[in-house]
Amino acid sequence: MDIDDILASVDHGPGASRESAAIDHQLLTRFWAAERAVSEVLPWPAPLMERMMDRVRIQIETIEDLAASSADMDPSTKHTTHNPNLNLRLSILQTDLARTQYLLRSLLRQRLSKLSKHSMHYLVKLASRSKNPLISDSQSQSQSQSQSQPNSQLTPGDSVPDISSISEISPLSSQEATFVHAHQTMLAGHFGGSFMGAFPPQLRRLDDNAGGTSMVQGPEMKEVVFVRCLVVEVPVVVPGDEGEEDHGVLMRMGDVWVVQWEGVREAWMKGLVELL
Amino acid sequence: MSYYDIDSILTDAQKLPCTFELEVPGLGVLEGNPGEDIKAGTRIDLPLWLGEMLSIAARIGTSRLVTLDMPDALSERVMNALKADPRTVDLRALAPHFYHLSERILELFEEEEMVDVLTNTFKRRAAEIADHAHNPRGAVGGGVDFLRGLDEAERQLFRAAHDRAKEMRIWAGEAKRK
Amino acid sequence: MAFPLPRGITPSEIAFLAEMETITIVPRQRLEGMELLSGSIEPLGPPRRASLPLWLALLLKRQRRAHIIPPSWLHPEPLSLILEVESQHQDYKNAFSPPPPLPGQASVTDHETESIARPQYTPDGERYYAAPPFLPHNISGAGTGEKEVPALPFHWIEVGNMLLDAASDDLVDPDQLRRLLKDLREVRMAKMRSGVDALDAAATGGGGVALTGVGAMELGEERGFLTGVVDNLRKIGASKEQARREQLADQRANGGYGATQEDEEEDYMEF
Repeated sequence: MDIDDILASVDHGPGASRESAAIDHQLLTRFWAAERAVSEVLPWPAPLMERMMDRVRIQIETIEDLAASSADMDPSTKHTTHNPNLNLRLSILQTDLARTQYLLRSLLRQRLSKLSKHSMHYLVKLASRSKNPLISDSQSQSQSQSQSQPNSQLTPGDSVPDISSISEISPLSSQEATFVHAHQTMLAGHFGGSFMGAFPPQLRRLDDNAGGTSMVQGPEMKEVVFVRCLVVEVPVVVPGDEGEEDHGVLMRMGDVWVVQWEGVREAWMKGLVELL
Repeated sequence: MSYYDIDSILTDAQKLPCTFELEVPGLGVLEGNPGEDIKAGTRIDLPLWLGEMLSIAARIGTSRLVTLDMPDALSERVMNALKADPRTVDLRALAPHFYHLSERILELFEEEEMVDVLTNTFKRRAAEIADHAHNPRGAVGGGVDFLRGLDEAERQLFRAAHDRAKEMRIWAGEAKRK
Repeated sequence: MAFPLPRGITPSEIAFLAEMETITIVPRQRLEGMELLSGSIEPLGPPRRASLPLWLALLLKRQRRAHIIPPSWLHPEPLSLILEVESQHQDYKNAFSPPPPLPGQASVTDHETESIARPQYTPDGERYYAAPPFLPHNISGAGTGEKEVPALPFHWIEVGNMLLDAASDDLVDPDQLRRLLKDLREVRMAKMRSGVDALDAAATGGGGVALTGVGAMELGEERGFLTGVVDNLRKIGASKEQARREQLADQRANGGYGATQEDEEEDYMEF
């Protein structure tokens, strides 16, 4: 962060509530469009979402107070009310609230739908971060369970990773992490009860990758997206193994491009491009 | 290849010609002769997944068990027809998952020219698909035959293009929902 | 099913975004300022002009509480000019006319100055670069004194359509505007279609196809088709791309030239 950034962040710090309300709304809108544009679940913007939820709660109270004051009015004096714009103001506030709630709902539902579609992928991803040797131990055990445990007791649920002790849950929110684990556990239970229980034990896993095809399916990172370049220039990259990357075409400020998502993902994370 | 993707499962079931290089005792079941042996030089159409497995497994050893051949859908004759005019070829009749099949075949064979022919074919036909998808009256005249000959990937493309164009017209008030 | 919509925002969601564009109105009544979730609304007092989000402007207009001052581009002259550029100009035969610049972006006609992005700051202290629909691309330019090159804003179809629908009495020669917008759509749609041939550039890693100047709704309409074409081209060309990447990696490993010994077949030479 250079000095300009520090000065500016003081100028427009969290105290500048009016302006930050507008910017937060713009950030939410941009994040929603991005979440709708790619197959992966994007990192949960916790501070932004907390501020938005707070504002929504307060706004609902404001609207309720305003509506109550209009209901309190004596019917006989309604025509000579002090504020002839009360109903207009109410309808503006309600429309604004409904529009914001739409964004929030659509965003959350989109994320849930991605999570249910790739639930095993996200659970495995979270579980792989575990620094606790005990957990990774029990994981490697479960990989070779066929030797250590009576086969007949294996259920599809055994392949659902336990993420209860994982603290680093990005890109999910804590509610989403709880959801995805509960969702997959129920699904595994249902699979086990309805058909997988009748399979030979070694075919009851949900994370098998025998035959070269993994059962755990993640989002497609190579699919194309539409981006606008927001800064002077941004190169499209070719992510390589071991962090090596090659630079491809160069996008310039204001340009709109069709590119592969993995080629602009890092730039999007830094806010240098937006998804359209 | 995606584990739960029906299209890729169906693609894997498509057959391609395989030649056994060695005699295999007791595998006659593949030829419809259970209990018999398969003789070296026998040619059978096997599903892609099986043929691939047998041919790749053989590479590790010294001699090949099975060699694969191009399926008819991707024969020289078809490639020439696609070079002449991609729009007149009925891809669906050749293989319902024509492009998926070619993608899998291209993993197994090094055929750079085929990549170019197929790329060009897909682009030329895609442009035609876009024209039909945006026509609010639907396919007319020669279009019907062309659309019938689309492979599965092209059908999905047609649907995607058609649905968005229709939503746009609905939003603009030019069309009604349903 | 948790969520029924396809990947990428749909036309009605795009129109929802367009309603966040700021436009200019002249109020016909007073209204105190308000704090909305989407930002502050300035107090309204006739005959002073005000800038409001389009959804609110339309709400007031439908209740006859305000007149809308059309965006500076939504007039017959600038639209005719843009149409001429789109259909006649040599430089834009295969490209869209240049969009309105982002804050700090040098205009196309100005080759002297360089672009310098001008960020705002989020409450978390991070840089934020505003873009449509949150830029003043649809306000009435009259009185700003700036000489602007007419340009179609990102949400031109949506804003044009909604204003023609709800506020045609506030527009100059709405019938001609309708004709011009329709002609523009056709001319630009043809460009979008003819671009299919270039799309394989987006199918390779690090590649891409520029659509600069495209409108949000135009993108929405062609989105399913374009992504479908590129994703299929990527899969068809996957074996070739694989060879290309291996060659790139080899070049890196060998200091930029030559192939490794294992590469007995010299198939990669044509790249």
